[in-house]
Amino acid sequence: MDVLTLLLWGLRIAFLLLIYLVLLLVVRALWRDLRAAVRDESRALGRLVVVASPSGQPEPGMSIPLDAVTTLGREINSTIVIDDDHVIDDHALLTFRGRLWVLEDRAGGAVTRINGQPIAGAAVLGYGDEIGLGGVRLRLERAPVETRAR
Amino acid sequence: MMTAIPRNPVVRAFWRVGIRPRLRMRELLLLCAVALTLGVGWVSLASTRAAGLSVGRPLPLLLYLVTLGLVHVVFVISGRRMDQILLPVVGLLGGLSLLLMARLPQSIVSRTVGPVELGLLELQLVWLMVGLGVLGVVAVLLRRDGWLRDYKYTWAMAGIALLVLVFVLGDEVNGARLSITLGPLTGQPSELLKVVLVVFLAAYLADNRSLLAGHSTRLGPLRLPPLPYLLPLLVMWGLAILVVVVQRDLGAAFLFFSVFLGLLYVATRRVGYVVIGLVLFLGAAAVLYQSFGHVRLRVDVWLDPTADPLGSGYQVLRALYAFGRGGVMGTGLGAGLPQVGESQAIPLLHSDFAFAALGEELGLAGAVAMCALYLVIAGRGLRIAARAADEFGALLAAGLTLVIVLQAALIIGGNLKLVPLTGITLPFVSYGGSSLLANGLVIGLLLAFSDTSGTRPSSAPARLLRRGRPVPDEVPGDPADSATGDGASATPREPAAEPGPAAVGAQPQVWS
Repeated sequence: MDVLTLLLWGLRIAFLLLIYLVLLLVVRALWRDLRAAVRDESRALGRLVVVASPSGQPEPGMSIPLDAVTTLGREINSTIVIDDDHVIDDHALLTFRGRLWVLEDRAGGAVTRINGQPIAGAAVLGYGDEIGLGGVRLRLERAPVETRAR
Repeated sequence: MMTAIPRNPVVRAFWRVGIRPRLRMRELLLLCAVALTLGVGWVSLASTRAAGLSVGRPLPLLLYLVTLGLVHVVFVISGRRMDQILLPVVGLLGGLSLLLMARLPQSIVSRTVGPVELGLLELQLVWLMVGLGVLGVVAVLLRRDGWLRDYKYTWAMAGIALLVLVFVLGDEVNGARLSITLGPLTGQPSELLKVVLVVFLAAYLADNRSLLAGHSTRLGPLRLPPLPYLLPLLVMWGLAILVVVVQRDLGAAFLFFSVFLGLLYVATRRVGYVVIGLVLFLGAAAVLYQSFGHVRLRVDVWLDPTADPLGSGYQVLRALYAFGRGGVMGTGLGAGLPQVGESQAIPLLHSDFAFAALGEELGLAGAVAMCALYLVIAGRGLRIAARAADEFGALLAAGLTLVIVLQAALIIGGNLKLVPLTGITLPFVSYGGSSLLANGLVIGLLLAFSDTSGTRPSSAPARLLRRGRPVPDEVPGDPADSATGDGASATPREPAAEPGPAAVGAQPQVWS
């Protein structure tokens, strides 16, 4: 009978220890993810994906990593050069302000849109929103994560 | 490690037929540990019962583990880059549930299907397998989230229809009208309603986020949100009160309202909403306490269960005794006291008080481990939300995580007499088909959204190829894309699935 009690006790403790082993393995995996994320901190703030571009400049399907300040326009020195009949040299400015993305229209004349709605002056936008400049449409997205170490 | 090596002939054969398996070593390792743990738990339970080393009748556990393994294999074959931690964690919680149901008297719930009579364990096993099946199917097949977002008012109407259905057809149990019976099936629509609600709220808030966060009305020192946009807050508050009054379901009402507040905060980062919401909540709580007997009873029992130890306070007191008997290391599986003579020690031990039952047999150590498992789900869920490609995905993942974690916290707190007891289930552990189905759906959605390379509508080549087909057939016709895949396997630092030049001429996408 003594052996049985000992056996049952052992099984009981083993079960609890194994539950904690699973937790330990989970925590180890979480820790690795965290370290990978720390290494990954220098990634871009976001990116613009070219949804439609009739003229081919920018190239459709291209994804452009973003810094805090991005200028959009026809001028060759713009961060993103846009070749479109309705886009002027210094057309719009996309800035990241702490947490919000702000699109500032510098052209006037209702050719700058967010999700199809023309904007006047500056407007706030979020990830997943679509910027329209003339016939060019660009979608703002979070920068892709490092797919290693998931 | 993460990407399949094309030199392997087996993998090559897979590639030739258009399947790109992606090994999930971390998930496999964790699942093995979970299987070992549950196996030892099963032997421990059977040995305690047989008073000698025994494995009992291991078929239910084996079936459960095989189901987990199958889900893992399906994930591997699907090749999606999904979270690898959620499935083992959920698997362990479900396994604990299975152990608990095997341990309880089988006659608590029984249903005759044709010639076979299914007891508690068999029914729970079936529901766990169905729940895991839903999880797997949703996780693998849900590639695009646009339709979830576009049909948001359909979801809202479906949710309201569910509520009305319960109001009209609900069966009243213990003064609460929670479940409806349709033929042989009994279900709790509030479990499904919570998922529908989160989808609707995420879509609504993603569309109106800038309006809600942008402007403000000043009222003294408090910066309030613009007044017209407070309307949804008030509607939601009214809905929660309606659920309490008509359905007498305190838990669901509290869960819905707090998830709504949480999502509103996530979407706008405005403390003002939370403050207003809490004020509304406290006001409603005070009024409801005064005017409705079932609300007052719950709160009074919570404040002092010893006032009526054999009546209304019986359940809560028994649960506290159970935790006390468990101590630090627990009595061991099968050695607790869930049944005194013919009557259950704690009524509803298999559903509302599952945590108390496990707390007795696994002790403080086991209870803390279970809480930690829910915390892991919270952490992973919020991580998925933080990495989602767009606002809708982020809000949806955050909302789904909140639903599971708040529900667990509410019922665990109720069992421990930290908060008033409400009749909701402990996710993945309590007995109940609706609960397991709904929570399987929630985790499936989270997993689907954790694969940002697939649900992201931007990865144009993948999107083009995947359209209408769950598994892309991208090997023969698309050298650009397979080159990206090779690059990802050789140099893991490179972010994979970058839309390449193959995306030229991608179909125009309309995003509302």
